Amino acid sequence: MNSHDLLPVHTGTVIEDDSLTLEQLCQACGVHAEWVISLVEESIIEPQGDEIHLWRFSGASLVRVRSALRLQHDLGVNLAGIALALDLIEELENLRAQLNIMGHD
Amino acid sequence: MQYKDYYKIMGLSRTSTQDDVKRAYRKLARKYHPDVSKEKDAEAKFKELGEAYEVLKDPQKRAAYDKLGTNWKAGEEFRPPPNWDEGFEFKGGGFTGGDASTFSDFFEQLFGRAGFRPSAQGQRGFDQRGQDSHAKIYIDLEDSIHGSTRNISLSTPGMDAQGYIQVKHRSLNIKIPKGIKPGQHIRLSGQGDPGSGGGKAGDLLLEIAFNSHPLYRVSGTDIYLDLPVTPWEAALGAKIKVPTPEGNIDLKIPPNSRQGTKLRLKGRGLPAKTPGDFFVVLQIALPPANTEHAKVIYQKMQQELDFNPRLSLGV
Repeated sequence: MNSHDLLPVHTGTVIEDDSLTLEQLCQACGVHAEWVISLVEESIIEPQGDEIHLWRFSGASLVRVRSALRLQHDLGVNLAGIALALDLIEELENLRAQLNIMGHD
Repeated sequence: MQYKDYYKIMGLSRTSTQDDVKRAYRKLARKYHPDVSKEKDAEAKFKELGEAYEVLKDPQKRAAYDKLGTNWKAGEEFRPPPNWDEGFEFKGGGFTGGDASTFSDFFEQLFGRAGFRPSAQGQRGFDQRGQDSHAKIYIDLEDSIHGSTRNISLSTPGMDAQGYIQVKHRSLNIKIPKGIKPGQHIRLSGQGDPGSGGGKAGDLLLEIAFNSHPLYRVSGTDIYLDLPVTPWEAALGAKIKVPTPEGNIDLKIPPNSRQGTKLRLKGRGLPAKTPGDFFVVLQIALPPANTEHAKVIYQKMQQELDFNPRLSLGV
C-alpha cells in the first residue's frame, strides 16, 4: 500500500460542451465580464445562445480565454492580434494532430 | 546561489538602450511564449526572460545590477557584495510585470521577494470567494476507456504566514470519469484558492490531455491503430487478431486491401453517448529477401506478375 491510498478520492464534474455561463467563465479565468464580452465581439470565443444571459461557453473557451489573457499580458497583443494568433495556433495544432495520425511524429 | 547574466539572456550588451531592451523583450517573448512556442523548455526560457526584463527595463534595478560589475560569469557561485545596493530604492518595492513567484533565488537575493499587498477589498473585510485554479493533467487512454482513479501532484504559488509567495506542493487522488476526452475539463469544487474573509474556496479546473500511447492514437473520440499485415493477407484477405484497448478482437481484412486502407470498427472508440470509432490502418510489411528460398519466390513474382506500380507516373 503506498501513501496515495491514504488520500481521499475526489470526484469532480466534467464540464460538458456549451455548459459554462458568462459568470462561470469569468470566475474560472479571473477576468471581468466586460473583457469576455469584448472577446465574444471579436469572435475569439463563440458562445451558444443569442443573448448575454443565455450565453453558454464550451470547456475549450476556458483554454482560449486564458491564452488570450497571457498573450495580452505578456506580449501586449491587441484583440485582433489575439484572434489571429489563437486561430493560427489552433490550425497548427490541428495540422500537428493530423501528422500524428498519419504516423509522422 | 548562481549569478545570472541578464544581458546574455536577452542577447544584449551593457550599452544597449532602454529601447533595445524593450525590443529584445518583445522579440524573445514571442519566440518563447508558452502559448506560441514549440521550442523545448520554452516555459523555463520565458520565465528567465521575464526575470531579466524585470531588472533591465527598470533603470533603478538595471543600474544596481550593473554595479555588481562585469566579471561575473553566468552560473558562477554568487554572493552580493556588502552595501552593493546602497542608494537604491527598490528594496521591497513593487514588481511591475512578470510572474514574480517564479523568479530565481539570485533575483530575490538582490531585489527582495515579491511581497503580498493585501487588496483594498481584503482590507475592508469583504467575504470574497477564492480564485479558481487551473492545471493540465496527463492521463492514459485506458483511464478514459475504463474510468480510473489517478494521483496527481500540483504545485501552486500561495502565501505563507508572512505574506510571501511560496510554491506549495500537494497531492490529490481524483476520479477519472469513463469516456473523458482530451481537452475536456473536470471541475473539483472547493479545491481552488482559499477565499478571504468568510468566502468560499474557488474550484480547481483540470484540463485533460492524453499521454502518447505505444499502440494507439486518439483524435477526438476516435482511436487509431497502425496494423502491420503481410502482402498476402492484404491481397488475399484474412482474419487476424487485432489488439484494441478493450482486448483482442478478430478482424476480417478484405481481399485486395491496399497500403493505408482504413477499416472502421464502429463504436469501439472512446465511450460516450455516441461513442467514437476504432480505425485500423493497414501497413503492408514486406518480407525480407534474405534467404535463397525467399529470393526464388520474389523472382517468381517478378516473372509471373504483370505489375507496374509506376504506371501513373507514365514510365
